[in-house]
Amino acid sequence: MRSVRRVALYGVLALAAVTFIYPFLWMASSTLKPPSEVGSLSLFPGHITLDNYRKMWERAPFGRALLNSAFVATTITAAVLVLGSMTAYAMARLRFRGRPLLNAATLAVLMVPGQLTLIPLYTVMVKLGWIDTYAALIVPYVFNATAVLMLRQFFLQIPQSLVDSGRMDGMGELRILFTIFWPLAKPALAIVAIFTFMGSWNEVLWPLLVVRDQRLMTLPQLLTVFALGGGAGSIGVSLASAMVLVVPVVVAYAFLQRYFIESMAGAGIKG
Amino acid sequence: MPSVSFEHVSKHFGEARVVEEFDLEVADGELLVLVGGSGSGKSTILRMLAGLESVTTGAIRIGDRDVTTLPPRERNVAMVFQDYALYPHMTVRDNLSVGLRLKSAPKAEIERRVSWAAGMLGLEPLFDRKPKQLSGGQRQRVAMGRAMVREPLVFLFDEPLSNLDAGLRAQMRIEIGSLQRRLNTTTVYVTHDQVEAMTLGDRIVVLADGRIQQVGRPVDIYRAPINRFVAGFIGTPPMNFLSGTIDQSQGTTAFIADGVRVQLPGNRAAARPSEPVTLGIRPEDLIVEPGGEGGGPPLPDVLRGRVLLVERLGGSSHIHLDVGPPPHRVVAAVSNDVLPDVGASVTAHVRAERTHLFGADGSALR
Repeated sequence: MRSVRRVALYGVLALAAVTFIYPFLWMASSTLKPPSEVGSLSLFPGHITLDNYRKMWERAPFGRALLNSAFVATTITAAVLVLGSMTAYAMARLRFRGRPLLNAATLAVLMVPGQLTLIPLYTVMVKLGWIDTYAALIVPYVFNATAVLMLRQFFLQIPQSLVDSGRMDGMGELRILFTIFWPLAKPALAIVAIFTFMGSWNEVLWPLLVVRDQRLMTLPQLLTVFALGGGAGSIGVSLASAMVLVVPVVVAYAFLQRYFIESMAGAGIKG
Repeated sequence: MPSVSFEHVSKHFGEARVVEEFDLEVADGELLVLVGGSGSGKSTILRMLAGLESVTTGAIRIGDRDVTTLPPRERNVAMVFQDYALYPHMTVRDNLSVGLRLKSAPKAEIERRVSWAAGMLGLEPLFDRKPKQLSGGQRQRVAMGRAMVREPLVFLFDEPLSNLDAGLRAQMRIEIGSLQRRLNTTTVYVTHDQVEAMTLGDRIVVLADGRIQQVGRPVDIYRAPINRFVAGFIGTPPMNFLSGTIDQSQGTTAFIADGVRVQLPGNRAAARPSEPVTLGIRPEDLIVEPGGEGGGPPLPDVLRGRVLLVERLGGSSHIHLDVGPPPHRVVAAVSNDVLPDVGASVTAHVRAERTHLFGADGSALR
């Protein structure tokens, strides 16, 4: 009886897994199919070709866009980790006037939908003369309230005696943060890094607003312009460019998933 | 010159007055124990000395230096924390040397000090382990080693034994005491455990509600507590208290309560007739004998009562007695020669010359 239930359970789970993984595998395999086969639902190309990738590379500066995306996402992620953890440390461990207000204000930022600040932020970019610069792509994202609150929550669980001990040993606050808190907060930093990197990597709307120069475009932006603008010419080429977009995130996730799952599980237990 | 001095130090957290007018000098090489219940301010005093907590008013000196506003790293003190506070991601060796590395001490000097401390504490075999891989006692030793390698002017211990089991606690208590005597470094030790205070301290400071109750050698505090709080706090099992009044009608001074009359030795000049007072009797100053049923006038220096409970501790026992009316409960600490049964009637002779008398405000009457 138990084994029957087990088989049924695994059957349902397998079905669910297939519904999630199939579109991705179909996309991956379709990039390797000649145009005549792209319409088929089969996961196995009858004839393997790299034509779609070659055409994609010829028709738009995807290499440059890939580098732009990597540069922008990496810079934002590094800045969010450094600035976010510094803010979180201050909010969790330093005593200063107005700290409760700062906590409340940070929380309040989360409640404002991004779309609402889009236009004011755009105006600021125009006034600063930052349109068509990397600064416009990076600076508005270097401070992230979600990251601050997540890190703060994690930092609060680190015993105060470690901070005291660091101070007695002669460490300044920054050294305590980077040599004690960072190593202990690896899971939290990893999850913040993944979320920030993915968020920044996949961002389309903001780059579309502030960047028009093709040489500065990020990958998803270029892809959108390319595919929607009809530059791709065929579904196969569109899918190939989507593939280029997705692979780095999948690879990053594969490397960091241990932390990702740990911190998700931890968050559940610790409430 | 005292090694550490507190001059009228107070600490307030908003409205809460955690420490009030703390005035104390710690002699060079002395082991001073701050003891008190939770909320007594003992840890706050230690943290103010460490520089981890600011001082609201007053001044703290270490040697001839005013350190009141200096950050911890400039005070040359080292602290052992209740939870040891070892850096979890560093090996034992790194935990020991981190303070010196931060001071950019020469490599040879770091090596010398780390091996010296590790040798004294038997830590060499643990050098490459991380704190997670150590037992409680080993972590405790690493924490002490980390404090030792800094060769500070003052050691601070913040309830260092409270996370250990009873056996290990006794062992580490002895180790800390002998280590401190060997190093002869001024030490301030905070604990809520009066046994630790009695056994370790050259002097004890008993604290309650942020104020000093009494300062003195352990044996002096035990023999002559200055008030009822100290009398009840120092000593296990705690001192027995009986409420009554003073009677001077027969030419001598006696404590009387219902069915109890205890002749007070000497001239307790401070005690006035009819004043409500409390008599304090240490459990070991009660000699329990079988018998003593029935009424009759109170015999001098005798409590009559019934056995409520006998706690056998091995070498000795505690007998809990009901010596009413009114229901008074007292504990006697006795040897195991003859133990009465629960419910038996007994008499308890009071060693009147060793009793303590406290006035209505709790202060000792002498």
